[in-house]
Amino acid sequence: MARHDDELDLDALLSPSQQHRLVELLGRLAEEEIRLIPGHAGDASVEFNLEPVAQLVSSLPDKRRDAAVELVEMILHHAGKYRLAATLHEDAVSASYAELEQRHEALQASEARYRKLAESLQQQVEAQVRVIESTQQELYESARLKAVGQLAAGLAHEINTPIGFIASNLRVAEEYLEEIAERQGASLSQDETLADFCDLLNESRQGAERIAGIVHDIRTFANIDRAEFIAVDVNELVQTAVNLVRTEHGQELPITLSLQHLPNLSGYPAKLAQALFNALDNAAAALGEQGAITVSTAVRDGEIEVAIVDNGHGMSAEVKAHAFDPFYTTRDVGQGTGLGLCVVRDVVRAHRGRLQLESAEGRGTTLTLWFPLLENP
Amino acid sequence: MEANDNHKLALKIVYYGPALSGKTTNLLQLHAQLATERKGELMVMNTRDDRTLFFDMLPVGIRTSNGLDLRLKLYTVPGQVQHDSTRKTLLSRADGIVFVADSQLGQQENNAISFDNLASNLSKVGLDIDRMPLIVQFNKRDLSDIVCEQTLKARWSATPWWPLMLSSALKGHGVTETLEELLKRLYPAVDREHGLDARYGLSQAAFLQRLTARKER
Repeated sequence: MARHDDELDLDALLSPSQQHRLVELLGRLAEEEIRLIPGHAGDASVEFNLEPVAQLVSSLPDKRRDAAVELVEMILHHAGKYRLAATLHEDAVSASYAELEQRHEALQASEARYRKLAESLQQQVEAQVRVIESTQQELYESARLKAVGQLAAGLAHEINTPIGFIASNLRVAEEYLEEIAERQGASLSQDETLADFCDLLNESRQGAERIAGIVHDIRTFANIDRAEFIAVDVNELVQTAVNLVRTEHGQELPITLSLQHLPNLSGYPAKLAQALFNALDNAAAALGEQGAITVSTAVRDGEIEVAIVDNGHGMSAEVKAHAFDPFYTTRDVGQGTGLGLCVVRDVVRAHRGRLQLESAEGRGTTLTLWFPLLENP
Repeated sequence: MEANDNHKLALKIVYYGPALSGKTTNLLQLHAQLATERKGELMVMNTRDDRTLFFDMLPVGIRTSNGLDLRLKLYTVPGQVQHDSTRKTLLSRADGIVFVADSQLGQQENNAISFDNLASNLSKVGLDIDRMPLIVQFNKRDLSDIVCEQTLKARWSATPWWPLMLSSALKGHGVTETLEELLKRLYPAVDREHGLDARYGLSQAAFLQRLTARKER
């Protein structure tokens, strides 16, 4: 593109037809042939802004030839004025246009930035809302669990005393029965009625002891009174959780324990028990006919590791993605709250631990929990 | 500045400043006063009320004996605010600036606005006002209601553009002197780039004397 401060040549100043007309008019005035040769060589050069643009060739005497040169220069001066103004105008307009385009682009970029910002703000708000909602739900659930726990602890306490004396009385009754048999001179094995009576008392006593065991587990599980961090034996909690799960899913539930000796963990026993119970409950619910559960504990790199492995039906990728969402459940209505793993995660976090869920559909699930051991347990 | 193989060197000098400060009058006076060896026609492009519309341009030049064809192209810009894009375009590839300020008391704010506009437009066309040969001329010293020299000294003596030139372009005072002062500030840069002295034997004194030669009065 031409620039306003470029030199102009003859053709840029006057079109060939104008040049032709000019030369023809000059020729008629001078009554001599006059020619304009573009470029700058020789005498009688025609200048535009100090730049020789043409040579005027004629056989005129110098004085008349110089007048012709001056006349052409004057015409070129005015033609050039227009040409330069037009070029400058074009320069200015295209520069302004380029600037406008740049501003437009900058504006678009800034608009895009703001749109992105708005979107990310929206996402942040949504994420915050989700956090608040889930916290509320967890709070509600934890209050509910606490109430249930209190009820269970109250019941356990009330049952504990009568079941204590029932078991004790049944033991005494068995002793009395042996004494009665001795007095009659018969052994218990010979008298069918007495032997049966003895069996009844024995079974009842075992039943009472089982009730006492369940009551003990419930008390451990509920742990209402102890809200502070205390030294906890994780293996004992695993054992308790296994007992409770068996109560729920049947005594024959195949659970293999591989518990290594562990240092005490500082934590909330009730919550840890709840987490272990939930994990085991999920494993148990996933089992098919041939299923089995393995629970192992160990110390690894300053952490207590608890792994609950089942070979049940496993989770699909989609289910796994939602596994920790509150109220997400694959069970039938009334069978699960959808809070199980959510509670596990929260309990683990409360102990500054971490967890990992691995699952393959049809091949089972492994849930591993790690709890850091504090330096001064 | 543009140079080519024919040893032609064109320096672009732009007269900048607020509207009606006397830029075109400077050029008219230079056209009348200068007796530079080569001097072209003054090109004036104005509206009917004598306001510059696009620019005015005066070409002057010298030829050294060893073949340097040196030309100054003196441009004015339109001072009116609305012609900013034209002003900016005219500033591109400028080699030196004469800032023509209006000495009248009521015009000081316009001077400041125009000077800011100069700095900003220079940076938009990729030039740096701190490295640009620039002379500030306070024109219209013949009027009575003008900023006094003490005030000007207080305002400008700490800037790189001190000393200022005082002029009355209408009366023809200080106009050629302003150009000469600018050429003094311009010579080192041109000499550095094109070896005026080394290649063409054109010393600063000769450069100034020949380009600003005045007609006998």
